[in-house]
Amino acid sequence: MYALTLICAGLANGALYALLALGLVLIYKTQDVVDFAHGELFMAGAYIGFTVYQLLGWSYPLAFVFSIAGGALLGILLELIVIRPVVGHPHVTIAMVTVGVSYTMKGVVRLCFDSDIHTMPPVSNSSVSWGGVVIATQSLINISVAILLTVLILALFQWTRAGLRMKATQQNPRGARVVGIDTGKIYALTWGLAAAIGAAAGFLAAPVTLVYPDMGAQFILKAFAAAVLGGFDSVLGAIVGGFLLGVAELLAGGYISTRLIDVASYLIIIIVMIIRPQGLFGRSAVVRV
Amino acid sequence: MNPVLRVSDLTVRFGGLTAVDRVRLDIDAGQIHGLIGPNGAGKTTFFNAVSGLVPAHAGSLALAGKTITTAPAHVRARLGIRRTFQALQLSPHLTVLENVMFGLHSEIRENPLRTILNFSVRKSADWLAQARARQTLENLGIGDLALEPAGRLPFAQQRQVELARALVAAPKLLMLDEPAAGLSPAEIEQLDRMLVRLCKESGVAILLVEHVISLVMNVCERVTVLDRGSVIAHGSPTQVAADPSVRQAYLGDGNVAAD
Amino acid sequence: MKRLLRHLILPAAFLALCAVPWLSNDYIQYIFNLVLAYVVVAIGLNLLLGFAGQFAFAHAAFMGIGAYTAALLSSRFGVSFFLALPASGLLAMILGMLVALPSFRLKTVYLAMVTMAFAELVQWVLIQWKTVTLGTDGVSMPWPSIWGHTLQGDKEIYYVILPIAFLAYLFARQLLQSRIGRAFVAVRDNEIVARSCGMNVALVKATAFGVSAFYAGIGGALFALALRFIVPDGFGMFQLILHFSIVLIGGLGSLGGSVIGAVVLTTLPEVLRGFQALQEIIYGVSLVIFMLFMPRGIAGFLQAHGWYPREILVRGWREARAGAGYGLATPLFRTEREDGN
Repeated sequence: MYALTLICAGLANGALYALLALGLVLIYKTQDVVDFAHGELFMAGAYIGFTVYQLLGWSYPLAFVFSIAGGALLGILLELIVIRPVVGHPHVTIAMVTVGVSYTMKGVVRLCFDSDIHTMPPVSNSSVSWGGVVIATQSLINISVAILLTVLILALFQWTRAGLRMKATQQNPRGARVVGIDTGKIYALTWGLAAAIGAAAGFLAAPVTLVYPDMGAQFILKAFAAAVLGGFDSVLGAIVGGFLLGVAELLAGGYISTRLIDVASYLIIIIVMIIRPQGLFGRSAVVRV
Repeated sequence: MNPVLRVSDLTVRFGGLTAVDRVRLDIDAGQIHGLIGPNGAGKTTFFNAVSGLVPAHAGSLALAGKTITTAPAHVRARLGIRRTFQALQLSPHLTVLENVMFGLHSEIRENPLRTILNFSVRKSADWLAQARARQTLENLGIGDLALEPAGRLPFAQQRQVELARALVAAPKLLMLDEPAAGLSPAEIEQLDRMLVRLCKESGVAILLVEHVISLVMNVCERVTVLDRGSVIAHGSPTQVAADPSVRQAYLGDGNVAAD
Repeated sequence: MKRLLRHLILPAAFLALCAVPWLSNDYIQYIFNLVLAYVVVAIGLNLLLGFAGQFAFAHAAFMGIGAYTAALLSSRFGVSFFLALPASGLLAMILGMLVALPSFRLKTVYLAMVTMAFAELVQWVLIQWKTVTLGTDGVSMPWPSIWGHTLQGDKEIYYVILPIAFLAYLFARQLLQSRIGRAFVAVRDNEIVARSCGMNVALVKATAFGVSAFYAGIGGALFALALRFIVPDGFGMFQLILHFSIVLIGGLGSLGGSVIGAVVLTTLPEVLRGFQALQEIIYGVSLVIFMLFMPRGIAGFLQAHGWYPREILVRGWREARAGAGYGLATPLFRTEREDGN
């Protein structure tokens, strides 16, 4: 009973990790770039939602739409202005660019909104009772969104032309260009998609985590852990990793020690890297020297 | 007298594919041994297996009588196997001298504390090592290029730098991976003469993989032909050239074009 | 004559810097102390990242370990600072070599992530292990004493920090102009070539991590001395990013660049103290702009234009060039070689 409650709550948290990890994996697969600013895209989603709903007073669904659209726009702009020029440079350079973006975004938000903590209401305040376990409807929504988006992305890759072009660009950018694929558009599309997903996660997370400039910092590490666990080059791995991490955290916290909740993600990264660096679904060639 | 290199039934597999199949060959000191074969014959894999970059699944390797079958690549280098690479592998931003000094890493012995605390140039381990490096460059005719950034040199001279890096440690076996690729006919002739001189003066054994058949014919005393991982011919250059199975392996008659 | 001038630069700089306490007030002196501590830390990171090419995110953790070792040994066990200092370096070095293990197999970004996880773990331990580290309460660093006389005030501890920073720079240069430094660069540029030249790549990486962590540990101890009070929060991601910024903006692969970077990036946060939003924006934007337009940092930019030389990693290359004559008749090759190398 206790375990079931923890598992459900873990899945709810995991859904958010999965969404962020999904964005990270998409960008990594397409451009071989690790986006250290992803936590701030998450934060942006929360703040846009907050602005539209709480400050402007518009409807909740509209706030969600703006949040996703805003995120997508941010992602595309970032790719065009800041990432595109440095693709192909040493990894350190690219990583530092994303870190710079991360700090800039945090600073801008802090300047506009102050460091105050703001609140957002959840989509639904109700809860569902199932087999003696009480689950918040919001949790169910989060989980559903995560699964739905993953399925959509997988379908995108498998069946649509855009998806095929993305796969081609991933596997061989030069070859893709030779056959006429506009890799620039693909990069922008990828970032827009990844950022939109991250922003959605931020919007969904806001009611629980509360809205403040540093909210991305905690989540980015968990997203990394989820992606590492699932395999950094696997879309399926991102969602499985996210859910596993969410559940593992709470189970460890509930049965061993609450202090483990904080470090679970670090321990998972270290353990995975030692035992099986490519994660559950990743390819080994990607990882080893 | 042990041969410098003795390869016995060397086998390398990748998954289900046998890239090198029970190859055997011997190279004596002062000998130049050529390894030829059509593309995909397994020459590069064999090369990498001998130098230690790829593990062998069966067979054995011995360098001057000492078994090195399971020795890691850097140990084989220290024992006396040095090589060059098909695609030039230099550090372009470093000077020629620094690149060549890489080859002396295992030859320089200095207590790290001495390294840090010794402020006298002439008493440093680098002083003697540098002498050897400069001398090697001198012998290859590029002595005055020592302080040039390696990346700015013309291709043929970059090849010489790579060769210097391999030679500076006085190896027992020098492995050359397509040394003539990208060279003009005049440069190939120069290479030709240099290799022969090298063997005579120093007694180093040379194993070379090459597509430029003229080089192989002029310079090698023995030639081994690989096809699909196995040895199909072995002997002097003229013997091998006349061998019908060699002609067949290369598709068509004996006119094999240089790359 | 030129040679004499060259040899005089460092001693002259040292003497000039010795005069600082006479010209500064307490605050400026504090900044100088901080900058010098960061110079040591930055050199450590540059050795690992710039010269050995290992993308590891654990540097702040090593600094924190060094800082805590020095502070705890001094304040809780009454150990002299001058004994605590090498202990800080050594403890950080041991952990550094442990972190080297994943570097043997993992590629760049994966190494970055596992070292980042390790760093977060270290910070968590610093916070949670209250009995030893006093957790978030922090540890204060007592004034060091030498031969019975206690050094007090920023100006007096400057004379402890300055020589240590200078020695750190000097030893790094010695290290780089040797087989060890060249091995770092060889491994950075091409591991396969390194192996083919007889280099034990795993050992080279372990050495790079060890030396780098040692420097971070020493820098951490100096940092604790300058700040006089340390908390676990100070050794997390922000500290790490600061290190990377110093090294990247200053110039990767250039010791002088580490000094430049330390000066530029330590003074900046101090000037903007209290305006966190502005700090973050200027910091973030500078980072992006530098990476886009000056990826090789300030030193790299100066080197590209010939205004700042790159030190060639061979000791005595100038002397040899001047035809100093080796007085040796070295044969080109030998066929007989001693085994057991």
